[in-house]
Amino acid sequence: MAIINYAQKVINFKVVYYGPGVAGKTANLQHIHKSLPDTSKGNMISLAAGDDRTLFFDFLPVSATTVRGFTAKFQLYTVPGQVYYNMTRKLVLRGLDGLIFVADSQWDRLRENVESFRNLEENLREYNYNLDEMPYVIQYNKRDLANVAPIEYLEFMLNRRARRVPYFEAVAVNGDGVFDTLNTVSRMVLVGEFGQEKGEHRETA
Amino acid sequence: MKLHDMVIHESDAEKINAVLTTFLGESGATEALLIDRSGQLLAMTGANRALDTVSISALAAGAFSSTGALAQLLGETEFTVLFHQGNKESMHVSTVDDQAILLAIFGERTTVGMVRLFAKEAATAVGLLLAEARAKPKTMGALSKPLTADESRTSFGEPRKI
Repeated sequence: MAIINYAQKVINFKVVYYGPGVAGKTANLQHIHKSLPDTSKGNMISLAAGDDRTLFFDFLPVSATTVRGFTAKFQLYTVPGQVYYNMTRKLVLRGLDGLIFVADSQWDRLRENVESFRNLEENLREYNYNLDEMPYVIQYNKRDLANVAPIEYLEFMLNRRARRVPYFEAVAVNGDGVFDTLNTVSRMVLVGEFGQEKGEHRETA
Repeated sequence: MKLHDMVIHESDAEKINAVLTTFLGESGATEALLIDRSGQLLAMTGANRALDTVSISALAAGAFSSTGALAQLLGETEFTVLFHQGNKESMHVSTVDDQAILLAIFGERTTVGMVRLFAKEAATAVGLLLAEARAKPKTMGALSKPLTADESRTSFGEPRKI
């Protein structure tokens, strides 16, 4: 749910990183936080359990662009990936404008990826959000590991809806693919909100 | 999705700020934050302190929504008030409507009872203003035309390929 404030000349969007546990959602935010200058970011908050797994959410506000005099700000959230945290995971989705599904590329994590994607669809339905209308991308993370599934196979498993969405290969702990993913989804969010002039390329198409 | 957007025009912001200023005067609270339940700050009035209001909004909305989930486990619709007591500073969060909450920060010069009393009045007044704001057209002026490709391009960091 975009919030457009004409008094402050600010547009706020909410983007959520979703995916199974230990897929690298927090690692994405940590890299963004480490890389951006202070002028483009706020404080990062991590509500983690004792074992460093996300308990409720991570939160990082960032801004990178001005749209017709309005500062576009993106509030980045992660959800807890573990199956048993579904109640809190659902709460974080409230009012989202865009989504990044972070998949773990390893063969032995395929099942968790598919279950997490199904869980995402179910949770969105409870808010009456439709994934087919939602700006979202998929990030295949941990591409540096030895036991990863081929991209074609992951695409077949996770990117098989009527609308194929952009995907990115990533090694989030090194920062590879992190900003490509964020820039694409934030662009899709802006186009989804305000539209794009006819004849212009649409990444959401 | 677009139906749920929240647009605050300058005239709405002025009216909301007037209600929040009155609330601060009557209750003795130091800051009042109007927060969307998705975690985003809609308006703020109060002492000019360097508070991280963006983080406060995200955390307060998270705390309030998890409290709501707890209420449902007990068969309640929601708990309408959340109160955190500190040594010198305390926090009172209450329901405005199904999309917004009102957070008040207050010190030792007032009491939770005073804040609660006037927060209820302020929430009703702000709720009416938000309903009015939601009924207005979403985008006006500069934002009413579609973006060009350049305008929709964001440039967070340096894109890297592997």
